[in-house]
Amino acid sequence: MKINRKSPTAAQKKNRPQVWQIILIAFFIFYMFLPILSTYIFSIATRWDRTIFPEGFTFEFYKEATDASYFTTSLRNSLILSLSTILVSLIIIIPTVYWVNVRLPKAKSILDILMILPFGIPTVVLALALVQVYNGTPIGRSPVLLIGAVFIYSMPFMYRPISNALHSIDALTLTEAGQSLGASTLQVMLKVIIPNIYPGIISGSLLVFATVFAEFTLTKLILGARFKTFPLLLVEYTRINGNIAAAFSVISFTIAWLASLLILWIGKKGQGSSTQAPHAH
Amino acid sequence: MKSTIQVSKLSNRKKKGVNWIALFPLLIFSIGFQVIPIISLISSSFSTKQGISLENYQHAFTPHIMEAFQNSIQLSLVTAVLGVSLGFIVGYAIISTDNKLVKDALIALADVTTNFGGAPLAFAFIVTLGSTGVITLVLKSIGVFLYPNFRIYSISGLAIAYLYFQIPLMIMLILPALQGLKKEWWEAAINMGANSQQFWMRIGIPILGPSLMSSFFILFANSFGAYATAWTLTGPDVNIITVQIASLIRGEVQLEIGLADALAVVSLFIILFCVGGYLFLSSKAKRFRA
Repeated sequence: MKINRKSPTAAQKKNRPQVWQIILIAFFIFYMFLPILSTYIFSIATRWDRTIFPEGFTFEFYKEATDASYFTTSLRNSLILSLSTILVSLIIIIPTVYWVNVRLPKAKSILDILMILPFGIPTVVLALALVQVYNGTPIGRSPVLLIGAVFIYSMPFMYRPISNALHSIDALTLTEAGQSLGASTLQVMLKVIIPNIYPGIISGSLLVFATVFAEFTLTKLILGARFKTFPLLLVEYTRINGNIAAAFSVISFTIAWLASLLILWIGKKGQGSSTQAPHAH
Repeated sequence: MKSTIQVSKLSNRKKKGVNWIALFPLLIFSIGFQVIPIISLISSSFSTKQGISLENYQHAFTPHIMEAFQNSIQLSLVTAVLGVSLGFIVGYAIISTDNKLVKDALIALADVTTNFGGAPLAFAFIVTLGSTGVITLVLKSIGVFLYPNFRIYSISGLAIAYLYFQIPLMIMLILPALQGLKKEWWEAAINMGANSQQFWMRIGIPILGPSLMSSFFILFANSFGAYATAWTLTGPDVNIITVQIASLIRGEVQLEIGLADALAVVSLFIILFCVGGYLFLSSKAKRFRA
């Protein structure tokens, strides 16, 4: 704003945020931060249920939380679940999306339907349907069934960033160039396409990780106590010990923040995408 | 060169059938873990010992279950209407911020918090608005007693917690439409003597209408299908439909499986209707962009 044709006061008035804007944005920031900030403080407060400010501070509850039986097991279970879902997702989604883009554009509408379908099925309904159909089969109520369910539920989160990344490079030309130099389709995919879409792959994997790590409904309804994951442990402690539940919540929030910020950072750097998508809460 | 292209085209044509094989892994997973279970759920909801009938539906709709549907629909309506309106005006406030750094930070905040939900969020609301929560204590000190008239562990409490993810979701859904609202339209309207109310009523809202409606459907579905937040915050006490279906799966209540299926199918169609409405309206909304 070096050259200003209007009078300076008019320009200032235009650029200064208006009162309604400040109020709305303050409300939004307050709503989004207060519950999380309170939980962070609650987790290090000795006692905070009688006075406006915490009565003292301690890290004792983190020690108790990490010492709690099931803590390591549930963390391990959550990692097993999210990492194996990412693996299944990568192995299935990348080649399929690549193939449809380069060789089978006709199937794009089928793919779109398959990717929107999970949003149309509430997780409790999916859990009920899966438990009934696979009841009595070898994978009934087993971690394999859970991974299948969680894969379906999280697959749009992997699909979108990868599909966006593939669109931003000219996959067809790259493939033809690779093949004219004598590479097989598999070689082109592994050595040309994947290195070029890795920001999308990492964004997708982080989104699936954040989603599956926080998954509660499918895990609880399909396996329940047999496979206790981190969110299941958290909910259990909200009924037993608030301070420890707060420590668990802080761990969850921190993981979610880190994953989201990483995705945003990758998205800023190159291809990638917004994390926004309908979710099951 | 010409001949090689022809050869590759020819071999492509031959391979056309083979090309579809590449879709099999995804199709197998989708069909096995989604299509077949849902179809069998629907068919089992209509089957009884006497054959195909609506008996399960007649039996499933006890007054208690009717109340659960009513509560779920009310909760979804309230949080969708509030989410759409608050998300819209906050989104508009964000987009008309001149400071790019502030604008980007706020969009990032909305983007991140859209994904927050479930158990940790529910607990965060207990810490904030529970009977000994931060806000409860602060209000108490200035003589305002939230409890026992208000309870975070109730349906109205759930609405407050749901809005936590509904508002940012709405902001992310409406931002592209708000960005498409051209400054020139506003300037033209003002130059022709319209005031800001007339601009919104005659131009802004009609153009954004399809986007606002399609977002409403997504927010409604988002709230209707929610379970983890509700379960953590209120346990089995609050009578909403996802909690009812979940308790049937976990065998807490003795009930024939056909009845659970009937409830699930009704919920499924409510959500599918919303997703269909969203898809239809968002394709309409795209007309005004680009």
